[in-house]
Amino acid sequence: MIVCPNCKHTNMTGAMFCSECGAQLVGTDMFTTQNIATGQMHEAVKQSFPSSKPAAPVSLNTWVTLQLMDTGQMLPLSDRNEFTLGRISEGQPIMPDMDLSPYQAYASGVSRLHAVIKRMGDRVLLMDLGSANGTFVNGKRLNPNVEQTLNNGDIIALGKLKMQVLLKTS
Amino acid sequence: MTMAPNRIDYYSVLGVLRDASQEEIKHAYYEAAQRLHPDKNQTAGETELFLEVQRAYEVLANPKRRAQYDATLPKEETPPSFIKYKVEYSRPNLVHLNEPQLIYVLLEISPREANEKLPAPPLNLCLVLDRSTSMQGPKMDIVKAAASQLVQILRPQDVFSVVAFSDRAEVIIPAAFQADRVKLQSRIQMMQNYGATEIYQGLEAGLREVRRNLDPKRVSHLILLTDGHTYGDEQACFQLADEAARQKIGISGLGIGDGWNDIFLDALTSRTGNNSAYISKPQDIKKLLMDKFNAITNTLAEDILLEFKMQEGIDLNYAFRMQPEGGPVALESSMHLGPILQDTPLIAIFEFLVQPSASEAARVKLLDGSLKATIAARPTPVPPLRVQFEQNVSDTPGDSPPPPSIIRALSHLTLYRMQERAREEAQAGHYENATRHLQNLAQHLLSQGEKDLARTALLEANNLERKQALSQNGGKEIKYGTRALVLSTVEASK
Repeated sequence: MIVCPNCKHTNMTGAMFCSECGAQLVGTDMFTTQNIATGQMHEAVKQSFPSSKPAAPVSLNTWVTLQLMDTGQMLPLSDRNEFTLGRISEGQPIMPDMDLSPYQAYASGVSRLHAVIKRMGDRVLLMDLGSANGTFVNGKRLNPNVEQTLNNGDIIALGKLKMQVLLKTS
Repeated sequence: MTMAPNRIDYYSVLGVLRDASQEEIKHAYYEAAQRLHPDKNQTAGETELFLEVQRAYEVLANPKRRAQYDATLPKEETPPSFIKYKVEYSRPNLVHLNEPQLIYVLLEISPREANEKLPAPPLNLCLVLDRSTSMQGPKMDIVKAAASQLVQILRPQDVFSVVAFSDRAEVIIPAAFQADRVKLQSRIQMMQNYGATEIYQGLEAGLREVRRNLDPKRVSHLILLTDGHTYGDEQACFQLADEAARQKIGISGLGIGDGWNDIFLDALTSRTGNNSAYISKPQDIKKLLMDKFNAITNTLAEDILLEFKMQEGIDLNYAFRMQPEGGPVALESSMHLGPILQDTPLIAIFEFLVQPSASEAARVKLLDGSLKATIAARPTPVPPLRVQFEQNVSDTPGDSPPPPSIIRALSHLTLYRMQERAREEAQAGHYENATRHLQNLAQHLLSQGEKDLARTALLEANNLERKQALSQNGGKEIKYGTRALVLSTVEASK
């Protein structure tokens, strides 16, 4: 069996796309365009055969990982240089690149398009997109549409959803 | 070099492989005898072919005589076929597993000689036009204009006919070589609208016209143009299509506007290895009719038939022709895969389910059968080509990633199947599931840059939530839109 990293649907071994949500289950490296709104796309694909080599949870070109303070879950970001953060709400055509709804985003006051995190050279920047409940870095609220440089270990909050910034240190 | 073997052997005459069982030989004989019986066919050369079939059967049906005959044949397993095929698997091997597993197979069929050019065969073409009252107005005007334009580009060697139908059919132009184009065009112009849509009527009359000139040297094809639902005669239509398939007559469908039944038209046309197309705007009628006509004139092999026996513990879940003319392939033990065009090989993808019982072996046969081609430019029987899908089974999944061609194909086919599922769920009254599928679909479409289609999918998701129904045109737009995406994957990878 293969559990879809996006919707948790159980697919048969050998399936290549989730029969429930359509997310790609194999060979994601080749298609960066598929990385949409999939909160845990890069979480290890669980496979039932024990001898399979575990899929690396973090791909080589991950440039920042966000660790959720509440649950400790890791959200590695890779391939693209810019991710919008937010939550999908039913019937709304707004699709953030990173959907936080599996992590209590609604209850934490995350807007549908809340903030954007991007990579510029060696720097990682965070910018609030005019969210209702604000974006915070180490407790300080950001002005909307103004970029803020992030440092390794910073605590960011989208509304009340807190995450720690883990930069790739190499 | 010449493609055809110098002497047609008895196996080729019957269209069976050298190692065919007595049962298969008998079956092939009955099938050929039905098709070629002198009481039924008057086409030149067919009586001779029928006698040849008789002779072949007399020898091959008798094990002793068959053995004697076999001894006289050249060594190679089967004579060279006109076609060749290439297979790609989604996984390097299967695994021993106590649960079912999936594997995808991409099959490409092309002429054996890459640059083989056969003369474009003459046509035996019938246009079957819906003239019911709903067609009245601009739709009918454009259909008439399109048919007139088609008359212009007919070649002297083409046989052509036109049938108009509503709740009864009328032969507007009887099947014949058409010299007087002006007369034809004026007959087309004079068509009036009346009555309701009964597809059986049009189909039956159209096939009758095509049958007047059945000739293995011609590509026989019927194009059905309709804008309406047919009621109650669906099963009878399917029977007509099956009979047409046996006689190597292709049937294509063009549906105009919102009201026609795409599921029915797909089911009908896939029985002959063809498909249906959706015309959302009347202005597109001309273009689609011309595209269809050009495809038919470029036919190399009319319909590739895949005959196979189901293997123990293997299910064939799904089959889809990606090109030419993308469309679902009806799952039967004798599958009509569709045509090969000049410069356009046939590409189809299959999804197999391997049961735990089958994965115990060291090697699994997914499919064992033969490919048969009907080639108008080579009316003599073409020997069938053995086709086997086989994969090793080991303890561990292989390392190599799936071939990009299969990933590309499935990335779009997945969208098409999500659309299919959404419509099925909506049909069954599971509106929540259907809505969710459409929303997921919209998300994927958006990420692939298909903004318009994504919007349509979201609108339809809304429709489902509020009205518990899809809109007629929205459902079709999504279906044929995602189908076009599948086709584009193949074209992009060329």
